Order: sequence, then structure tokens, then C-alpha cells
Amino acid sequence: MPKLSTNQWLAVVALLLGALAVVGEPYAGTRTSLDARELAMIVEGRADHVTAPELADWIMQGQTDYRLIDIREDTAYARYHIPGAENVQIRELPEYPLFRNERIVLYSGGGIHAAQAWFLLKAMGFPGVYTVLGGFDAWIDEVLYPAAPSATTPESMAEFERAEAVAAFFGGSPRGAGEEGELQELALPSVDLTSPVIVAPRKKRRKEGC
Amino acid sequence: MIAPFFKYGLFGDEASLILAFLVGIGFGFFLERAGFGSARKLTAQFYLTDLTVFKVMFTAIITALLGIFYLSWIGWVDLSLVYVPNTYLAPQILGGLLLGFGFIVGGYCPGTSVVGTATGRFDGFIFLLGLMAGIFAFGEAYPLLEGFVNSTDLGPITLPEALHVSYGLVVFAVVALAVVGFWGAGIVERRFAAR
Amino acid sequence: MAATVATEAMKAGAAARHEAGTGPAPYMNPYLAGVGLGLVLLATFVLMGRGLGASGAFTSVVAVAVEAAAPEHARANEFYVGYLENGFGHPFKSFLVFEVLGLIVGGFLSGALAGRNRRTVEKGPRISTRGRLGLAFLGGGLMGVGSKLARGCTSGQALSGGAVLSVGSWAFMLMVFAGAYALAYFVRRQWL
Repeated sequence: MPKLSTNQWLAVVALLLGALAVVGEPYAGTRTSLDARELAMIVEGRADHVTAPELADWIMQGQTDYRLIDIREDTAYARYHIPGAENVQIRELPEYPLFRNERIVLYSGGGIHAAQAWFLLKAMGFPGVYTVLGGFDAWIDEVLYPAAPSATTPESMAEFERAEAVAAFFGGSPRGAGEEGELQELALPSVDLTSPVIVAPRKKRRKEGC
Repeated sequence: MIAPFFKYGLFGDEASLILAFLVGIGFGFFLERAGFGSARKLTAQFYLTDLTVFKVMFTAIITALLGIFYLSWIGWVDLSLVYVPNTYLAPQILGGLLLGFGFIVGGYCPGTSVVGTATGRFDGFIFLLGLMAGIFAFGEAYPLLEGFVNSTDLGPITLPEALHVSYGLVVFAVVALAVVGFWGAGIVERRFAAR
Repeated sequence: MAATVATEAMKAGAAARHEAGTGPAPYMNPYLAGVGLGLVLLATFVLMGRGLGASGAFTSVVAVAVEAAAPEHARANEFYVGYLENGFGHPFKSFLVFEVLGLIVGGFLSGALAGRNRRTVEKGPRISTRGRLGLAFLGGGLMGVGSKLARGCTSGQALSGGAVLSVGSWAFMLMVFAGAYALAYFVRRQWL
């Protein structure tokens, strides 16, 4: 062992660590292992989804502590999307700037793509990922154009009135009882920046600089 | 993957303020230890008689750089959650220049002037008053400056991204340059201190 | 390495206590002080996911003062509003404000241990105290404007941004050194 001064020791250690860094990958977070049992438990416990009316509630209350990701084609997204949603194709998902400390809500047309994206993000080590149960179809069915109940008990009527208000908020309208609305024929409300649906601005990121 | 702890919600806002205070104590302690409470020691850097500023600053940078690199590599820290300041090239270049002018004229930078004040340097306190006057002037002029301040926005871009090389390579380059710089600093000091 | 730094720091403090009254203890080895500073910065990254800073705390002070004097004026200015509303409650409940409070304590503590705390004005022999204080104010003013243009000072940009390899922080750091060297000759009477 050569006799080195404190400063020389520090220099040697720094250079060695620096040289070893050349082969390192600090963003290794994209490669994590899956705990199959844990995943299965999440799926079985139904802790992996939110329902469309729940999501509608969040939006109406102006909640901003989640990110809504629309993984349908961009043309479908352009036609109509759930207010506040960001359009990301599945192939773009691994590079898309999502953060592991965010609550991420995914939806696709029916829900299958969203479920696949869910596994993708779980595999990448994102703890808080959810899908919209029933996907975009459920949003249309349960939020925009809720069907009137067949039975007219006071409870179901009260519930329907609430659904009516929610539908009106998002620019839809309820379907009358027995009316078998073909979803394709129902006009989708237009979503543009001037639409009355105001999505609260994303929570201001706390100042982190000087 | 558990760190950064705050961003994973391991503790809340109130606890983060206590940590801020504790971290500040460590920060102030080592600044003073290095001699950064003294304007003469700081400005000697620019007359080449004492390059402590360069030595301390770059040792601190490479220590934190290596630390965060290795902690991320082994997966203890999620590097994508560590805040990288957005780059606004033009205002940062002009701001840096003004800051350099202020450094040699005033003798401190904001952090070191706090340490100077805490250790009894009255010029450090006057510097802080000047600093707040400058911030106030900037604030009042902000409506006029806004366009420039927000220009050349490159986002949170890092050197590896800008140079299209691996993160590790930049780490090595910075460490190697720093160590060569330290070696050179010794030579410069011996030459200029002798005069 | 942390242990070495701590021992070194202790030694310097002990030396000062030992020779109390005979003058301040020498400064710490700059490389060990740098490692200590770097570890504090690293701890901040790991705990908070952010770096250190200083100028931001004083911006909070200015913003609060302006709001107290002229609330409407402050609220109409996006710059002040950014510091008045930090998503936390009171503008002083911010990371940087508490960090700077710690900075005062830490600096004082280290100075006291080393016998370096004394009321004085730092200047060269060829300038009056009044002249030095005037330049300190002017320099502070330049730095106030500069640090806000650059969104940070030597702590927030050069040190913290530099350690996460931000492009702007490195450009900023080079310009700080360039600016100081460029002007050093003209203010040499203040220091030499």
C-alpha cells in the first residue's frame, strides 16, 4: 500500500467511483421484478380499479391528485375524452413522464387495453395504478347517458336524479326508461377548452427551486 | 425503491420543515467550517491566492453526484423523482453573470452571507439587505422582464440528454475534470500565494 | 467517509476549545468540508427529492413584506404570488425558509466551536468600512436580480442543479465564475 495523504485518498476513491459509473444505469427503476402473488391479490381484491361514476365524482369535486390516461387511438381521443385525460398510446407508456408517486388512472375503450397497460406500469414499479372499470364504454353508459331504472322505487329514483345531474354536468343526458339507445347513435358532447366542464387546474407543483 | 422519502409520502409537510431546519444546520456548519463565513476567504478565489471556493464546491458536487448516482443505480432512489431545475438558457447565462459581478463586489453569495451574518460579519448583514432590495427591484420589474425570464425554456434537461451520452459517462467526466482541477488548483495557489 | 468528516470537524472544534483565547482555529481541509457539504446535499436529495437553496427564502421575505405594504399590488404580480402561494399555508412555511433558519444556527455553531464568531467587517486594508458596506449592499443588489433571473443562486443552481447535471445550472455556474473573474481586477482595492 503506498502511503497517501487524505486528499490523495479522496481523489483515488472519487476517480474509482467515477470510472465505475461509466457502466452504470441510474434510471434502473424501469426494470423491476414483479411479485405475482401481490398482483394477484390486488386484482382479486378489486383494489385495481375505480368505477366511472366514482371518477365522475372526482372530476366534479375538482380533485387533482391523480392523472387520467386515455390509451385509445388519438382520433378517438380527439372526438371525445373524459375531461382532464391525457392521450398516451401504449407503446409510448414506458417513456411517458409519469411518476411513481402519482395516482394513475387508465382507461381504454372496453378496458382490456387499460388492463394490459396496468400490468405494464405495475411491472415498472408504479405502486398506484388503477383502471376505469368497464373503460370508456362504462363512462358513456353510466355517466353520460345513464339509463333510467326499470323499477320506480324512491331510492332508485333518487339515485337516477343524481345520475341525471352528473350527466348534465358532463354535457350528456339520461336515456328514458326502456329506451334502448344505440350508443353509436348518441351524440358525444364536444370537449373543448370553452366547454362548461371546468377541470380544476392540476395541483400546482410546489416550488422546488430557489 | 423507497426514496426520495418525501415524494413517496413517507412523511408530511410539517415533518419536512423540521428536516429542512436540520439539513440547514448541516449546510451552515460545513459552509462555516470551510471558511465561507468570511468574504475575504471567498473572494480570494478570484485573485487566485486561495482556491477554497472551487475545491469545496466541486468536492460537494461530485460527492452528491456520485452518491445520488450509486443510490439510484442500486435502486434505492428513484432518480426521476429528484428535482432537476428547468433550464432557461438565456436568463440563466445573464443571471449567472450578474451573480458573478455581485459575488466579487459584495463578497458573498446568498447562502454564505447568512453564515457571515451568523458569525458576526456586519458586511454580510448589509449584503443580505442589498439582496432583498435586488429581489424587490426584480419583483417590481417582473411584468417587464417576464418575457425574457421565461425565454429559451429547455425544460428539465440534463447534460447526458443534451450531449446524447450515458449518465455514467458524464459522471466520470465531471469527477475526472474536478480531480484534475484540484491538482491544478494546488499549483496555481503555490504560484500566486508566493507573489 | 462520513466518519472521517465528522472526526475532522470534531478535531477542529476541539483544537479551538483547547487554545481558547489564543485565536480562531484553522479552517477545515477544504476537500473534507466539501465531502461534508456534499453529504448534506445528498441527504436532502434522498429525503426530499430536491436540493438546497438560499435566495428563495429571502424572496419569500420580500414577497410577504410587499404584500403587507400593498396587498393588491403584490397579488397582481405573478412573481410575488408564486412565493405567497406555496400550497402549504403561510408563505414562511416553506422548505427554504426553514432551511435558512437552520443555516443561521449551523453557521453560528461551527463558528462558536472554532472561536471564529466575532463582530467585524470583512474587507482589505485599503478601503473604508463605509465604502465596504456600500459595496456589500450593491453586490447584494446585483445578486438579488441575478439570482431571480437565473431562478437560483450558488446553492440552488450551481450546487444542487450541478449535482443532478442540469444543463442550465452548469451554464450558470460557468457564468458566475466568468463574471467574478472579469470584475475582480476593478474592485481589488476592496479585498487586497
